[in-house]
Amino acid sequence: MKITHYFFLLFLVTLTFWGCSKREAPEEIVIWHTMRPEETRQLQSQIDEFQKQNPGIKIIQLFKETEEMRSGFIVAAIGGQGPDLVYGPADQIGPFEEINIIKPLNTVFPKEFIDQFNQKALIYSKGRLLQIADKLGNHLTLVYNKKLVKVPPVTDKELIELGKKLTIDKNGDGRPDQYGLVWNYTEPYFFVPFLTGFGGWVLDSLNKPTLNTPEMIKGLNFIADLRDKYKIIPNEADYNVADALFKEGRAGMIINGDWSWSGYGESGIDYGITPLPFITESGKYCAPMISPKGYSININVKDDKLQKIRKFLEYVLSPDQQLATTLKTKTFPTAVALYNHPALLGDSVLQNSRRQIDLGIALPIVTEMRAIWDAMRPAYQAVLGGSITAPKAAEEMQKAAIVKIKELREDIYDPVGGLIVQILLFGSVAALIFYLRKTIVAFFKNLSKDKFAYALALPAIAIMFAVIFYPFAYNIVLSFSNMSLAHINDWTIVGFAQYLQVFKEPQLYTIFLKTLIWTFANIFFHVLIGVTLALLLNKKLPGTPVFRTLLILPWAVPQYIVALTWRGMFNYEYGSINLILTHFLSMSPIEWLKSPVEAFVAVIITNIWLGFPFMMIIALGGLQSIPQELYEAADIDGAKWFHKLKNITIPLIKPVMIPAITLGVIWTFNNLNVVWLVSNAGEPSDQTHILVSYVYKAAFNLYRYGYAAAFSVVLFLILLSFGLTFLRKTKATESVY
Amino acid sequence: MNKKNYIVNFFTYLFLIFFTVIALYPIINVFTISIRPGNKLLSTSLAIIPDGATFKQYAELFTNRPFMLWVWNSTIVSAVVTFTGVALASTAGYALSRFQFVGKQSSMLALLTTQMFPATMLLLPMYIMLIKLELINSYLGIIIVYSATALPFCVWQMKGYYDTIPFSLEESARIDGCTRWQAFYKIIFPLAAPALVITALFSFMTAWSEYIVAAQVLQDTQLYTLPLGLKSFESNMSTEWGLYAAASLVVSIPVVALFVILSKWLVSGLTLGSVKG
Repeated sequence: MKITHYFFLLFLVTLTFWGCSKREAPEEIVIWHTMRPEETRQLQSQIDEFQKQNPGIKIIQLFKETEEMRSGFIVAAIGGQGPDLVYGPADQIGPFEEINIIKPLNTVFPKEFIDQFNQKALIYSKGRLLQIADKLGNHLTLVYNKKLVKVPPVTDKELIELGKKLTIDKNGDGRPDQYGLVWNYTEPYFFVPFLTGFGGWVLDSLNKPTLNTPEMIKGLNFIADLRDKYKIIPNEADYNVADALFKEGRAGMIINGDWSWSGYGESGIDYGITPLPFITESGKYCAPMISPKGYSININVKDDKLQKIRKFLEYVLSPDQQLATTLKTKTFPTAVALYNHPALLGDSVLQNSRRQIDLGIALPIVTEMRAIWDAMRPAYQAVLGGSITAPKAAEEMQKAAIVKIKELREDIYDPVGGLIVQILLFGSVAALIFYLRKTIVAFFKNLSKDKFAYALALPAIAIMFAVIFYPFAYNIVLSFSNMSLAHINDWTIVGFAQYLQVFKEPQLYTIFLKTLIWTFANIFFHVLIGVTLALLLNKKLPGTPVFRTLLILPWAVPQYIVALTWRGMFNYEYGSINLILTHFLSMSPIEWLKSPVEAFVAVIITNIWLGFPFMMIIALGGLQSIPQELYEAADIDGAKWFHKLKNITIPLIKPVMIPAITLGVIWTFNNLNVVWLVSNAGEPSDQTHILVSYVYKAAFNLYRYGYAAAFSVVLFLILLSFGLTFLRKTKATESVY
Repeated sequence: MNKKNYIVNFFTYLFLIFFTVIALYPIINVFTISIRPGNKLLSTSLAIIPDGATFKQYAELFTNRPFMLWVWNSTIVSAVVTFTGVALASTAGYALSRFQFVGKQSSMLALLTTQMFPATMLLLPMYIMLIKLELINSYLGIIIVYSATALPFCVWQMKGYYDTIPFSLEESARIDGCTRWQAFYKIIFPLAAPALVITALFSFMTAWSEYIVAAQVLQDTQLYTLPLGLKSFESNMSTEWGLYAAASLVVSIPVVALFVILSKWLVSGLTLGSVKG
């Protein structure tokens, strides 16, 4: 095969795939939604029915996870694309409206149509109807196991009394085997009912935070008392732990939302629903947040398609279809015509659900809520972790909320700085070209001389730059811009303002230090374990192929599920790691996920586990390039094993390991997923962040794209200086022979 | 042989077994989730075989879900990315290892720098670019992006491996009348088999497991790749854990199979020792 044949073949393959992978954009209605599986199945059956009645219309529904829906839809809609319909809880509407990516619905539907819905189902902002809901709720209630709880509690006193009775240590090992109450109490959303129960709320009528209040302090103390004083809730419980306990019948009551109930039924729990307790001290019921869920239309939808969409929405929002959905999924409908329907009146779950909805408070749709959640979480978890007191936490929440709202609303305007940076940018590009002029000329001269080398090297380099150049340049420009919630579509260059903010970030340096520890701990153990295993496997003892295959499994299994499995293994009470520590090593159990240092160690352990197989494979490949004669010669000279390791193995696998280590450092430094999954987005109290997850959370949650770009450029420069130093030190761009 | 060797081998096995247990335990947990009834991610019991274990999730996967479609789609995408990765990285790595040319050092660095920018930030502009090029809802779009993602590592890795192969091999081939291309293609390329295996595995895995770009680019459910399909089992606070775990295990089978097949060249191909330099 000649080189020209080789490239011709490559070209042909590419063309073939261009041909057969290209699909025309079909004229179909695309829905993105955040429905749970059973709701999705119900929607699909409604779509099937609708398509049968309307043969000209094709509808596709796609599930998106909440965060992904938000960021994905914003990205797509700004790009002039995206789904035609978005379906989700009303709180996502605030940002969509501010960025102006959804159509007002009162221009699409007649008044008679709109009037048939419960007022709570119609989300207006400044006279524009932005969402029509088909489900009310998304609300927390008290769910109880009828086998354990005969009469559900009404007041907080009754709840505590009952909880004490139900919290039982059956085998006498000092730890309860059954709890009175469980729930995902570390998450602020699941705390809000107790804030409202004592009479507090998160925002005032001007959307200013109201977190530093006596009500907040009482609410925080109440939760801490449930755990520490009355001991009726587990020491450590996230969503999945609480869910498992209740499903196994090891908890009398759980606080959870309407999405979870049918799952309890399917697990064989005879469950009942009752409103959250009445707080005696305040004389108020605990009020959960209520959020309607419904449809909004993408601003990019063209008029001819709008008619089809309208037809579909009229169908799917009709009372008949809502009734069918309600009966299947136990969600509460929005068509007023259904409220006296016998099917609803006769269902105790739905009736109690309605009582809870009536007691609940609507979740504000304003974008500020995002800042409220991010502000509450760290201080709330710090109270539960015992590191600060409730009054201090309330104060910190309020302070953080004010800062975050300011960041969310930031509006940088600096035409002079913008002009300077523009001149600097153009100037530096010009200077670069001028500086490289001789190299560029030499390059073109060389091109004909070194044809062979360029023919081999250029395709790979060209494809890289085709893909990366535009996004990269775009981010550089963005980092000097004011792109934020105030300027998503009309951002301008404002100069170094975003960089100044990055360096003013008080946490920057501690997080940087953590990132360094994270990166080097990971790479050190990846290489150490990987190379050691490779050396052992390379001895080719009987059975090594089996070990080799089993050892790559952590690399082969999708990260998401194993990362969450590890999180489960780190659970304080039920996780296998603590059980091994206590039973086999007689150590005391470790609060892995509750204390910052241990949580960080847990994340690192998980990532070491995920990454060592890949280093092992590379080292195994690298070992093959070492001629056996060298070892034989060394044996004759009577060399010890560590001499052989130091003088033969390490120098000769170095050329193969250096690229892997360099890139391993870069990837680990920027590895968002594992930190995010194992620590549940930085828990406890945002103490387990590395730079990249911090920028992701700080910037994307608050739509600070310009800031995120500047932060990313800083990360890039850190890595670039590392890369240059490391490669110079190891001389990896040179050859060994 | 002798007593000392037995002891060394004993500890070798002990160490291998220890790490294999560590490697396997979390995966066994995933298996337990996949056969546990009642859709629970966690359990308070440590039993590997849970009460009421059932394989119905696996049946569900193959009968009621378009799982085979996703497998097929992912196979096509991954196969093309693997082919492109191996073809381009083996040649580019060779050029970077053997020749001096203008721009060599800077292109090697530039390859690395492409990995240094946090990927999430590149998504928006990349998406805008793909819209402009009409590569949305097309495999070509993600194949190009995946190849570009996999190439920097693969090129560096190939370059590093070629560096360990003595120049004298090509020199003698040239003396025997080979062209430069033949010297590469017939002599050096087969000798680099272990590195090619790593390149192939890495390219394959890049395409096989990538989610974020695919989610933005592929909107048509008929084009869904495995990570997108798996994601459809997820949901806020009501993920179908059993199904997700079952699918995750099934998805790893092709990766392991590929590794087993390629292992032959990874550990016992033509090693340099057999070719006296």
